[in-house]
Amino acid sequence: MLCHDVKRVIYFFLDGTLDLRRQNDFQHHLDLCADCETRIVIHRRIRIFLKKRLAPICAPDHLKQRLTRSLRAFAE
Amino acid sequence: MKSAEAYEHEQGWDFEKAAMPYVDSLYNTAYRMTRNSEDAEDLVQETYLKAYKYYDKFEEGTNFKAWLFKIMKNTFINNYRKKKLTPHKIDFSEIEESYERVIQKNAPDLIKDPETEIFQDMMDEDVKRALDSLPHDYKMVVLLADIEGFSYKEIAEILDCPVGTVMSRLYRGRKMLERTLLEYARKYGYIRGKAEPAKMRSRKDEDKGPKKKEGPAEEEEIQEPDENEEEVLFADDEDLDLEVEGEEEEFNIE
Repeated sequence: MLCHDVKRVIYFFLDGTLDLRRQNDFQHHLDLCADCETRIVIHRRIRIFLKKRLAPICAPDHLKQRLTRSLRAFAE
Repeated sequence: MKSAEAYEHEQGWDFEKAAMPYVDSLYNTAYRMTRNSEDAEDLVQETYLKAYKYYDKFEEGTNFKAWLFKIMKNTFINNYRKKKLTPHKIDFSEIEESYERVIQKNAPDLIKDPETEIFQDMMDEDVKRALDSLPHDYKMVVLLADIEGFSYKEIAEILDCPVGTVMSRLYRGRKMLERTLLEYARKYGYIRGKAEPAKMRSRKDEDKGPKKKEGPAEEEEIQEPDENEEEVLFADDEDLDLEVEGEEEEFNIE
Protein backbone atom coordinates (compact mmCIF):
# COMPACT_ATOMS: atom_id res chain seq x y z
CA MET A 1 0.00 0.00 0.00
CA LEU A 2 1.30 3.45 -0.91
CA CYS A 3 0.65 6.85 0.70
CA HIS A 4 -1.95 7.58 -1.93
CA ASP A 5 -3.88 4.44 -1.01
CA VAL A 6 -3.58 5.22 2.67
CA LYS A 7 -5.27 8.57 2.12
CA ARG A 8 -8.14 6.89 0.32
CA VAL A 9 -8.91 4.37 2.98
CA ILE A 10 -7.83 6.13 6.13
CA TYR A 11 -11.37 6.63 7.45
CA PHE A 12 -12.25 3.03 6.78
CA PHE A 13 -9.12 1.90 8.56
CA LEU A 14 -10.22 3.99 11.55
CA ASP A 15 -13.71 2.51 11.29
CA GLY A 16 -12.16 -0.95 11.36
CA THR A 17 -14.03 -1.92 8.22
CA LEU A 18 -11.15 -2.80 5.93
CA ASP A 19 -10.71 -6.47 5.36
CA LEU A 20 -7.94 -8.13 7.31
CA ARG A 21 -5.43 -8.13 4.48
CA ARG A 22 -5.82 -4.43 3.83
CA GLN A 23 -5.91 -3.61 7.51
CA ASN A 24 -2.53 -5.36 7.77
CA ASP A 25 -1.15 -3.68 4.64
CA PHE A 26 -2.23 -0.36 6.05
CA GLN A 27 -0.62 -1.03 9.40
CA HIS A 28 2.54 -2.18 7.69
CA HIS A 29 2.68 1.05 5.71
CA LEU A 30 2.20 3.09 8.88
CA ASP A 31 5.11 1.32 10.51
CA LEU A 32 7.34 2.46 7.67
CA CYS A 33 5.98 5.89 6.77
CA ALA A 34 6.28 8.74 9.24
CA ASP A 35 4.05 11.04 7.18
CA CYS A 36 1.15 8.65 7.16
CA GLU A 37 1.70 7.89 10.81
CA THR A 38 1.34 11.63 11.49
CA ARG A 39 -1.72 11.78 9.29
CA ILE A 40 -3.45 9.03 11.19
CA VAL A 41 -2.71 10.68 14.53
CA ILE A 42 -4.31 13.87 13.25
CA HIS A 43 -7.36 12.03 11.97
CA ARG A 44 -7.79 10.21 15.25
CA ARG A 45 -7.61 13.43 17.19
CA ILE A 46 -10.09 15.21 14.99
CA ARG A 47 -12.41 12.25 15.27
CA ILE A 48 -12.24 12.24 19.06
CA PHE A 49 -12.72 15.97 19.14
CA LEU A 50 -15.79 15.82 16.91
CA LYS A 51 -17.33 13.00 18.83
CA LYS A 52 -16.94 14.97 22.02
CA ARG A 53 -18.25 18.22 20.61
CA LEU A 54 -21.14 16.70 18.73
CA ALA A 55 -22.22 14.60 21.66
CA PRO A 56 -25.89 13.68 21.41
CA ILE A 57 -28.41 16.22 22.58
CA CYS A 58 -31.12 14.65 24.71
CA ALA A 59 -34.75 15.08 23.80
CA PRO A 60 -36.49 17.55 26.13
CA ASP A 61 -38.86 16.06 28.71
CA HIS A 62 -41.82 17.94 27.32
CA LEU A 63 -41.28 16.19 23.97
CA LYS A 64 -41.28 12.79 25.63
CA GLN A 65 -44.53 13.64 27.38
CA ARG A 66 -46.00 15.01 24.20
CA LEU A 67 -45.09 11.80 22.34
CA THR A 68 -46.59 9.56 24.95
CA ARG A 69 -49.77 11.62 24.97
CA SER A 70 -50.11 11.71 21.22
CA LEU A 71 -49.39 8.01 20.80
CA ARG A 72 -52.05 7.13 23.36
CA ALA A 73 -54.54 9.51 21.78
CA PHE A 74 -53.75 8.06 18.39
CA ALA A 75 -54.35 4.52 19.63
CA GLU A 76 -57.84 5.32 20.87
CA MET B 1 -48.94 -9.97 12.55
CA LYS B 2 -51.57 -9.08 15.12
CA SER B 3 -55.28 -8.80 14.52
CA ALA B 4 -56.83 -5.39 14.06
CA GLU B 5 -58.57 -5.59 17.45
CA ALA B 6 -55.45 -6.53 19.29
CA TYR B 7 -53.56 -3.80 17.51
CA GLU B 8 -55.22 -0.94 19.32
CA HIS B 9 -54.79 -2.40 22.76
CA GLU B 10 -51.53 -4.18 22.72
CA GLN B 11 -49.67 -2.58 19.92
CA GLY B 12 -49.82 0.88 21.42
CA TRP B 13 -48.08 -0.28 24.53
CA ASP B 14 -45.66 -2.51 22.63
CA PHE B 15 -44.76 0.29 20.34
CA GLU B 16 -44.25 2.77 23.12
CA LYS B 17 -42.01 0.37 24.95
CA ALA B 18 -40.00 -0.39 21.83
CA ALA B 19 -39.76 3.12 20.42
CA MET B 20 -39.34 5.45 23.39
CA PRO B 21 -35.76 4.36 24.19
CA TYR B 22 -34.73 5.86 20.85
CA VAL B 23 -36.27 9.25 21.36
CA ASP B 24 -32.96 10.89 22.34
CA SER B 25 -31.16 9.53 19.30
CA LEU B 26 -33.96 10.54 16.96
CA TYR B 27 -34.26 13.96 18.48
CA ASN B 28 -30.52 14.51 18.29
CA THR B 29 -30.43 13.70 14.60
CA ALA B 30 -33.65 15.62 13.97
CA TYR B 31 -32.12 18.64 15.66
CA ARG B 32 -29.00 18.42 13.51
CA MET B 33 -31.16 18.03 10.42
CA THR B 34 -33.65 20.83 11.03
CA ARG B 35 -31.24 23.03 12.98
CA ASN B 36 -33.81 24.14 15.49
CA SER B 37 -35.55 22.52 18.42
CA GLU B 38 -39.10 23.34 17.42
CA ASP B 39 -38.87 21.71 14.00
CA ALA B 40 -36.91 18.83 15.49
CA GLU B 41 -39.69 18.16 17.99
CA ASP B 42 -42.32 18.23 15.26
CA LEU B 43 -40.25 15.93 13.10
CA VAL B 44 -39.78 13.42 15.90
CA GLN B 45 -43.48 13.51 16.74
CA GLU B 46 -44.48 12.97 13.14
CA THR B 47 -41.96 10.14 12.89
CA TYR B 48 -43.39 8.42 15.94
CA LEU B 49 -46.95 8.72 14.77
CA LYS B 50 -46.07 7.36 11.35
CA ALA B 51 -44.01 4.57 12.81
CA TYR B 52 -46.89 3.67 15.09
CA LYS B 53 -49.30 3.70 12.21
CA TYR B 54 -47.11 1.33 10.21
CA TYR B 55 -45.84 -0.70 13.13
CA ASP B 56 -47.43 -3.86 11.78
CA LYS B 57 -45.24 -3.45 8.70
CA PHE B 58 -42.11 -3.62 10.76
CA GLU B 59 -40.42 -6.97 10.30
CA GLU B 60 -39.46 -8.48 13.60
CA GLY B 61 -35.84 -9.37 13.85
CA THR B 62 -34.73 -6.42 11.72
CA ASN B 63 -33.22 -3.28 13.15
CA PHE B 64 -35.94 -1.23 14.78
CA LYS B 65 -33.78 1.80 15.40
CA ALA B 66 -32.74 1.87 11.73
CA TRP B 67 -36.41 1.51 10.75
CA LEU B 68 -37.35 4.55 12.86
CA PHE B 69 -34.51 6.55 11.35
CA LYS B 70 -35.62 5.61 7.90
CA ILE B 71 -39.13 6.88 8.60
CA MET B 72 -37.68 10.07 9.99
CA LYS B 73 -35.46 10.56 6.94
CA ASN B 74 -38.45 10.11 4.61
CA THR B 75 -40.59 12.43 6.68
CA PHE B 76 -37.89 15.04 6.65
CA ILE B 77 -37.50 14.83 2.90
CA ASN B 78 -41.23 15.17 2.38
CA ASN B 79 -41.69 18.04 4.79
CA TYR B 80 -38.62 20.13 4.55
CA ARG B 81 -36.38 19.33 1.69
CA LYS B 82 -38.83 19.95 -1.09
CA LYS B 83 -39.53 23.38 0.26
CA LYS B 84 -36.18 24.94 0.64
CA LEU B 85 -33.36 22.83 -0.50
CA THR B 86 -31.39 24.56 -3.13
CA PRO B 87 -28.67 22.30 -4.44
CA HIS B 88 -25.28 23.77 -4.05
CA LYS B 89 -22.24 22.64 -5.88
CA ILE B 90 -19.12 21.50 -4.22
CA ASP B 91 -15.75 21.36 -5.80
CA PHE B 92 -14.40 18.35 -4.03
CA SER B 93 -10.97 18.53 -5.58
CA GLU B 94 -10.58 22.01 -4.12
CA ILE B 95 -11.56 20.61 -0.73
CA GLU B 96 -8.96 17.85 -1.05
CA GLU B 97 -6.30 20.34 -1.97
CA SER B 98 -6.95 22.84 0.76
CA TYR B 99 -7.24 20.00 3.26
CA GLU B 100 -3.82 18.74 2.23
CA ARG B 101 -2.34 22.21 2.43
CA VAL B 102 -3.60 22.74 5.95
CA ILE B 103 -2.55 19.29 7.10
CA GLN B 104 0.91 19.65 5.64
CA LYS B 105 1.48 23.09 7.03
CA ASN B 106 0.13 22.37 10.45
CA ALA B 107 1.07 18.78 11.06
CA PRO B 108 3.62 19.72 13.76
CA ASP B 109 1.03 21.85 15.60
CA LEU B 110 -1.60 19.21 15.22
CA ILE B 111 0.38 16.39 16.70
CA LYS B 112 2.66 17.99 19.23
CA ASP B 113 -0.08 18.73 21.72
CA PRO B 114 -0.61 15.66 23.85
CA GLU B 115 -4.19 16.68 24.51
CA THR B 116 -6.74 14.84 22.48
CA GLU B 117 -8.81 17.96 22.18
CA ILE B 118 -6.78 19.70 19.55
CA PHE B 119 -8.93 22.75 19.17
CA GLN B 120 -9.70 23.19 22.80
CA ASP B 121 -10.91 26.75 22.53
CA MET B 122 -13.03 26.29 19.48
CA MET B 123 -16.59 27.29 20.21
CA ASP B 124 -19.33 24.72 20.03
CA GLU B 125 -21.01 27.14 17.70
CA ASP B 126 -18.12 26.82 15.24
CA VAL B 127 -18.32 23.05 15.32
CA LYS B 128 -22.03 23.24 14.72
CA ARG B 129 -21.50 25.68 11.89
CA ALA B 130 -18.94 23.37 10.32
CA LEU B 131 -21.40 20.49 10.47
CA ASP B 132 -24.19 22.62 9.07
CA SER B 133 -21.98 23.68 6.20
CA LEU B 134 -22.11 20.14 4.85
CA PRO B 135 -24.68 19.40 2.19
CA HIS B 136 -27.56 17.51 3.74
CA ASP B 137 -26.73 14.07 2.35
CA TYR B 138 -23.16 14.22 3.54
CA LYS B 139 -24.17 15.54 6.92
CA MET B 140 -26.62 12.67 7.31
CA VAL B 141 -24.08 9.91 6.76
CA VAL B 142 -21.59 11.55 9.08
CA LEU B 143 -24.22 11.90 11.80
CA LEU B 144 -25.54 8.39 11.37
CA ALA B 145 -22.09 6.82 11.35
CA ASP B 146 -20.11 8.95 13.75
CA ILE B 147 -22.69 10.09 16.24
CA GLU B 148 -25.32 7.35 16.12
CA GLY B 149 -22.87 4.54 15.41
CA PHE B 150 -24.83 2.87 12.62
CA SER B 151 -22.94 0.48 10.34
CA TYR B 152 -22.55 1.25 6.64
CA LYS B 153 -25.19 -1.32 5.84
CA GLU B 154 -27.67 0.14 8.29
CA ILE B 155 -27.08 3.61 6.89
CA ALA B 156 -27.59 2.27 3.38
CA GLU B 157 -30.90 0.86 4.56
CA ILE B 158 -31.96 4.10 6.24
CA LEU B 159 -31.03 6.25 3.26
CA ASP B 160 -32.14 3.78 0.59
CA CYS B 161 -28.84 3.81 -1.22
CA PRO B 162 -26.02 1.36 -1.92
CA VAL B 163 -23.30 0.75 0.66
CA GLY B 164 -20.77 2.17 -1.81
CA THR B 165 -22.68 5.46 -1.81
CA VAL B 166 -22.64 5.54 1.98
CA MET B 167 -18.88 5.01 2.00
CA SER B 168 -18.29 7.59 -0.65
CA ARG B 169 -20.39 10.16 1.17
CA LEU B 170 -18.73 9.32 4.44
CA TYR B 171 -15.33 9.83 2.93
CA ARG B 172 -16.29 13.13 1.42
CA GLY B 173 -18.46 14.31 4.28
CA ARG B 174 -15.81 13.65 6.89
CA LYS B 175 -13.18 15.27 4.79
CA MET B 176 -15.29 18.38 4.19
CA LEU B 177 -16.09 18.63 7.87
CA GLU B 178 -12.48 18.24 8.92
CA ARG B 179 -11.36 20.67 6.30
CA THR B 180 -13.79 23.29 7.55
CA LEU B 181 -12.70 22.75 11.14
CA LEU B 182 -9.05 23.06 10.19
CA GLU B 183 -9.81 26.23 8.30
CA TYR B 184 -11.56 27.71 11.33
CA ALA B 185 -8.73 26.56 13.53
CA ARG B 186 -6.24 28.31 11.35
CA LYS B 187 -8.36 31.41 10.95
CA TYR B 188 -8.85 31.80 14.67
CA GLY B 189 -5.25 30.99 15.47
CA TYR B 190 -5.74 27.62 17.22
CA ILE B 191 -3.18 26.32 14.82
CA ARG B 192 -0.50 28.52 13.41
CA GLY B 193 -0.27 27.93 9.71
CA LYS B 194 -0.19 31.08 7.64
CA ALA B 195 -3.43 32.05 6.07
CA GLU B 196 -3.60 31.87 2.33
CA PRO B 197 -6.35 32.41 -0.20
CA ALA B 198 -8.81 29.58 0.18
CA LYS B 199 -9.40 29.31 -3.54
CA MET B 200 -5.82 28.93 -4.58
CA ARG B 201 -5.39 25.85 -6.70
CA SER B 202 -2.40 23.65 -7.22
CA ARG B 203 -1.20 23.28 -10.78
CA LYS B 204 -0.46 19.63 -10.53
CA ASP B 205 -3.74 17.88 -10.39
CA GLU B 206 -1.89 14.58 -10.59
CA ASP B 207 -0.61 15.04 -7.08
CA LYS B 208 -4.00 15.10 -5.50
CA GLY B 209 -5.45 12.53 -3.20
CA PRO B 210 -8.16 10.07 -4.24
CA LYS B 211 -8.58 10.35 -7.91
CA LYS B 212 -10.85 8.97 -10.52
CA LYS B 213 -9.66 6.06 -12.53
CA GLU B 214 -10.46 8.06 -15.58
CA GLY B 215 -12.38 11.26 -15.22
CA PRO B 216 -14.01 13.16 -18.02
CA ALA B 217 -13.35 16.44 -16.30
CA GLU B 218 -10.46 17.69 -14.28
CA GLU B 219 -12.62 18.82 -11.47
CA GLU B 220 -14.91 16.47 -9.76
CA GLU B 221 -17.98 18.44 -9.08
CA ILE B 222 -20.48 17.16 -6.62
CA GLN B 223 -23.95 18.46 -6.56
CA GLU B 224 -26.20 17.82 -3.67
CA PRO B 225 -28.33 15.05 -5.08
CA ASP B 226 -31.95 15.61 -5.68
CA GLU B 227 -34.15 12.91 -4.21
CA ASN B 228 -34.81 11.46 -7.64
CA GLU B 229 -31.43 12.01 -9.17
CA GLU B 230 -29.42 10.39 -6.48
CA GLU B 231 -28.36 7.27 -8.30
CA VAL B 232 -27.39 9.16 -11.41
CA LEU B 233 -25.31 11.68 -9.55
CA PHE B 234 -23.63 9.03 -7.52
CA ALA B 235 -23.02 6.66 -10.36
CA ASP B 236 -19.32 7.31 -9.90
CA ASP B 237 -19.34 6.06 -6.35
CA GLU B 238 -17.23 3.10 -7.34
CA ASP B 239 -14.40 5.56 -7.76
CA LEU B 240 -13.39 4.89 -4.24
CA ASP B 241 -13.57 1.22 -5.01
CA LEU B 242 -13.30 0.20 -1.44
CA GLU B 243 -13.73 -3.14 0.01
CA VAL B 244 -15.47 -3.65 3.29
CA GLU B 245 -15.16 -6.73 5.32
CA GLY B 246 -17.32 -9.47 3.95
CA GLU B 247 -17.55 -7.98 0.49
CA GLU B 248 -15.56 -9.28 -2.36
CA GLU B 249 -14.90 -6.54 -4.82
CA GLU B 250 -11.29 -5.64 -5.36
CA PHE B 251 -9.94 -2.40 -4.07
CA ASN B 252 -8.21 -0.71 -6.92
CA ILE B 253 -4.67 0.34 -6.20
CA GLU B 254 -3.51 2.48 -9.03
